[in-house]
Amino acid sequence: MNGGQFSLILLPTLACNADCDYCFENKSGCTLHLDQLPSMIHKVMDHMEVNQIEELCIYWQGGEVMTLPPEWFEQAHDIIREISAVREKRIFNYLQSNMITYSEKWNRVLSEMFGNSVGSSMDFPNLYRKLKGGYGPREYERIWTRNIMEAMNAGIHVGVIAIANEQTFDLGAEHFYSHFVDELGIRDFQINTPFPGGPVNDVKKGFPVEADRLSQFLMDLADVWMRRGFQRDVRVGPFDSLMDYFVHGNKNLLCIWRENCASDFVCIDPMGNVAQCDCWVTSYPEFRYGRIFHQGSLSDLLMKSEVRRSFQQRPGRLMQKEDCIECNYLHLCHGGCPVRTYAFYGDLFRKDPYCKLYKQLFQKIETMAMNHLRN
Amino acid sequence: MLAVYRRHTVIVRSGDPAEIAKELTGEDLERVAYVQVLNVQADLRPLTLWGDAIPVDLVVQHPETDLPLLYQCSQLLARHPVRITVPVVSGFSKVVKLAASLNFTVKLNVSQPEGSQIVEMSQVLEAYLHQPMVSQPIEYFHSMFLAFYRSEPLTLWAVQEEDPAYFRYIADDGIETISGRFAGAKVGHDIAHFPDRFKKELVAERGECSRCELFENCFGYFKWPKREYRCDGVKSLFQLLKDAAHQLKNDLDTFQSGRIEERS
Repeated sequence: MNGGQFSLILLPTLACNADCDYCFENKSGCTLHLDQLPSMIHKVMDHMEVNQIEELCIYWQGGEVMTLPPEWFEQAHDIIREISAVREKRIFNYLQSNMITYSEKWNRVLSEMFGNSVGSSMDFPNLYRKLKGGYGPREYERIWTRNIMEAMNAGIHVGVIAIANEQTFDLGAEHFYSHFVDELGIRDFQINTPFPGGPVNDVKKGFPVEADRLSQFLMDLADVWMRRGFQRDVRVGPFDSLMDYFVHGNKNLLCIWRENCASDFVCIDPMGNVAQCDCWVTSYPEFRYGRIFHQGSLSDLLMKSEVRRSFQQRPGRLMQKEDCIECNYLHLCHGGCPVRTYAFYGDLFRKDPYCKLYKQLFQKIETMAMNHLRN
Repeated sequence: MLAVYRRHTVIVRSGDPAEIAKELTGEDLERVAYVQVLNVQADLRPLTLWGDAIPVDLVVQHPETDLPLLYQCSQLLARHPVRITVPVVSGFSKVVKLAASLNFTVKLNVSQPEGSQIVEMSQVLEAYLHQPMVSQPIEYFHSMFLAFYRSEPLTLWAVQEEDPAYFRYIADDGIETISGRFAGAKVGHDIAHFPDRFKKELVAERGECSRCELFENCFGYFKWPKREYRCDGVKSLFQLLKDAAHQLKNDLDTFQSGRIEERS
């Protein structure tokens, strides 16, 4: 798996304090018990042992991870450190949180376990991220802004994932960039494309957002970033990683553009369900690989899973079924994201519905890279 | 059979990766140039946990059906340098494109390509020369390009690992010959000098080869097995390679002389 590294998306809880319209998760209050964690980690490390993998990257997500107390993570960290020391494996932890319940009591665990870094999410304008209990987008944004400011003042690096909506297009790329970089001081953010995963609602019925407007917005934002952020170390994904590829040849792209995500990572939820990623494990139970607590080994579970075999076969099947093999950017995309595809078409073996957008984006950044190299 | 060739560096070919992983261990591994897996449909997992950075050559047999399997082959790249050998038959260029996209090196297994195959070869050559997505060698184009660029002597027999002075192919019955495409053919007792003899025969015939400016690179490679094969297609590919190499050399010379002028 990915050379010397195994990536695990671990959802310690499916509880969430937010009620966002486009969330793809079927949330429950289910939480991983700390006494189950050693067994899970040992099974993961058994799998690494079998495959001669030395490093484990754990991406902690939810639900909302901060519905668990920081003490839970401190204990989890101790458990994992102890096991990894005995088994001589290296561990890297990453955290994704909506930061709604963040306070300074999290700073110690953020520093010790997560390298003083956290990934969060916010849109501009915020239309769909809401709190439970009927508090709307404005209140959500107020609390989020206050908390990430406090975190950044405490020296914590905050990265932000944003999803563009119709009003984002009206405001334009310059305004969007200024909001995050100039007003909030965020120097690392990423634009994701929305998809209608999980239960249907009115907002998801509007996906995909108007493709031409989204495309124009991204092209404009790329120009703004190039003019204002590129030389100043502001990272805007996926532009920065594509630029790095076209200029330096480094291929560290988003998971949606990996050769085959089934070779790169798995996800485990609090009940021990194993699936391809958080979207699959929470939204599509029929696509789970198995349950880690119920099976002898993770290696067996992964090897015997017919569902996983489908994921592994997807890019190859697309080469025969779709026009990906004719594409000049095949080496960057490989047919795109399975969950976006399935959420739109109900069929795993089709190419990503944002294909046209991706191609425009690749072409745009390639041209920007060529101009940069010429100058 | 390994014991018979104890003093030689060996290329070990098999259709069964598990057999390779089981049989090739310890000291034997030290004299392995590479292992050749004759079937990409085979389960390659044994090789993902075997050896360390042992070059692996995966031989595509049927481009159409083997194409999607390249994705599962890419797991091997984490442990070994991997080359995909592709026969130049209809549809092979798709395999080359996907292999290049997955960062494999590629070798074209070519004999006497005709019309549509030449068209596909020129598409592959165009991609090799000009597409940034190709970051690994595609042979024989790559070695020939470098030879033209450096003005170094090189024959296609050597590039294609068919120069019997350096390579021998041991058929399943244990008989030594030049390469797979010569298996069962009569090449005489003095295998090592076959290309020289063959070249002289072609010159003596006063046919196409005697007037060909690329003969020193080709040595009549494309005249086997049918000597009446017309080389117009493959010559156009050679010419493209040669022109591109000269163009690059000229560009770099111009760039260098510009820098020298700037300094003075």
